[in-house]
Amino acid sequence: MTHMTRPILLLGLALPLLAACAGGRLVGNEEYGTDNRRELALRQTGAATNAGIVVFGVDRSRQAQEAAAGGGGMTVNAFLWRATLDTLSFMPLSSADPFGGVIITDWYSPPQAQGERFKATAYVIGRQLRSDGVRVQVFRQILRGNQWVDAPASTATNAEMEDRVLARARELRSQSAGR
Amino acid sequence: MRKILLGTTAVVSAVVGAAVMAPQASAQEAPTVRIGGFFQALYGYTNQTGQQSIVSSGLPTGVGNSTTFIPAGATNIARSGKHDISSNAGIDVIVSGKLANGLTYGAQISINGNAVEGRQVVGSRSSGGKTLMQIDEMYAFIAHPRFGQVRMGDEDGVMGGLMNSGWVQGFGTGGVHGSWEAFVNRQGGGRTTTAPGGLGDSSKILYMSPQFAGFDFGASFAPNFNSGAATGCPNEAQSGFCDRAIAFSGARGVGVPAAGGDFAARRNEYQLAARWRGNVAGVGIAATVGHIGASAARDLTASGQQFRVFNDLNIWQAGVQASYAGFTLGANYSYGDYNFFWGNTLRGDRPAEQLVVGGQYVAGPITVGANFVTGLFEGGSRSNFAETGTTLTPFSARPGAINPVTGAVNGQANNSASMRRWGVGIGANYRLAPGMDLIAEYVHYSVREQGRDLDANRPGIQSRSFSNVFLTGVRLAF
Repeated sequence: MTHMTRPILLLGLALPLLAACAGGRLVGNEEYGTDNRRELALRQTGAATNAGIVVFGVDRSRQAQEAAAGGGGMTVNAFLWRATLDTLSFMPLSSADPFGGVIITDWYSPPQAQGERFKATAYVIGRQLRSDGVRVQVFRQILRGNQWVDAPASTATNAEMEDRVLARARELRSQSAGR
Repeated sequence: MRKILLGTTAVVSAVVGAAVMAPQASAQEAPTVRIGGFFQALYGYTNQTGQQSIVSSGLPTGVGNSTTFIPAGATNIARSGKHDISSNAGIDVIVSGKLANGLTYGAQISINGNAVEGRQVVGSRSSGGKTLMQIDEMYAFIAHPRFGQVRMGDEDGVMGGLMNSGWVQGFGTGGVHGSWEAFVNRQGGGRTTTAPGGLGDSSKILYMSPQFAGFDFGASFAPNFNSGAATGCPNEAQSGFCDRAIAFSGARGVGVPAAGGDFAARRNEYQLAARWRGNVAGVGIAATVGHIGASAARDLTASGQQFRVFNDLNIWQAGVQASYAGFTLGANYSYGDYNFFWGNTLRGDRPAEQLVVGGQYVAGPITVGANFVTGLFEGGSRSNFAETGTTLTPFSARPGAINPVTGAVNGQANNSASMRRWGVGIGANYRLAPGMDLIAEYVHYSVREQGRDLDANRPGIQSRSFSNVFLTGVRLAF
């Protein structure tokens, strides 16, 4: 063994200790590379890596998926959909279409700013849990005299709402992964 | 890597770190046993050097007993056509379960065709043909959010495929690292072994850490070369075929795995990897640095002296890939003492270096991509060894060098030099159904080594060999 490899091996031995001390997240098997041709093909085609036939035991992953998807008829990502609903739940909902992935709220006036009101439209796009899988558009009106008139909402508001949705989706995802 | 949020859940975990550290309370799950697999059938059009032999190669050696149809003592030459269809399949058994304390466990057993070269060697550890089903990877794992994952069994190491970054192969059958190799004749070594999965599944133990602040780490160790139950010796004789042999006669000949992949000098193989994944301004990034090291069995003379003939395996690798809106770009560079089979080089051989770049784009059901590999390796070794029975004397492999024992003079075709290998692959997939792809792919691969004969069955010295393969077909994973 050369003089260079010894510290490397020590580092290797220290890693489990380091991991045990710090708070970490379990890395799923699907996050590692693989030489398995079935797995490679499944990942490449976007098919669920829990494909195949369960010959023994209960297929909990599929149960969980179907439950999250509200019965399997859903065409958008269930985590993003739930996260969007959760995030926008402080406003009254006007319509929610899980098939088209559209959530529209009614006008809502925050108690701390009675002179303005907001309405939000959210689009959940696609079945994948991706950071570009949700678009939120916030509309703002201000009370001028007795008339509600349109006012620009800052674009940062839209991005901030999207970030909240994504953060919530991550939470839901990690809760589900821990099951 | 897709731009999926999984990579960033570490941030969430960091925020709720206390919750992660707390004892896990989760529903126990009885183990499930899942069976899946894949099938592929590909048509290949192959245009390569070495499709015809002009000089008799004599009887092929190492082909078992069935040489009946080879004309004994006569000229043995052949011509090859260009068309072929190759099919392959595999079955996986996947076991997984979870305990109430959050511990997950399981095992995976992969049974694949086309797992070995198919060379059969009489009287030694024989390998099956390429169409026989063989165990590829098989391992058991135990994982916990707090302690990470331990795997034990036949598996690529942490840098042999599990945690590498920068290899873009998610299109076609993998581009320059894909299935084109199934179609080419082996003259000139048209293959790309120095890629994830190419190091082999020597039985090993692996540890992979949890992810914190985007980082995860891994280490693996394989004491000997063989995988599966190919431990011990194939018969009562102590020889190099014994998995635990640390010195044996003729070790100098197996820096490259021989006998169908079950026989090589590599020992004490360890791998270390550090990986970071996260989002930077909406772009998914993964980066890995790592090291692969190994010692090698020593050669043993007839009178029992041990000689160190190999360099230690010493590979440093760094790779990075970025994904955004369906695009993935990646690059990977490796440098160190290894040959083009990721085996030990002989002492005196040059270090190797290899650069891989690739890109792919996914739009709905269509994936297109390209990758390129270039590398400089030791070709024919710079060293020969002459054995007198008591000592092993290295001598030059250059033309004109004299074997100090036999007095034989190296011929011109023995010339050895740096071997330049490069290849490019472009491919596309159309997803017909989840798990089912239609594939089209083209690969060009070239090997060049000035002055060394890469096609010994033609007159003269062919110092260049190349392969062009176009393939198209269907692949189904289930």
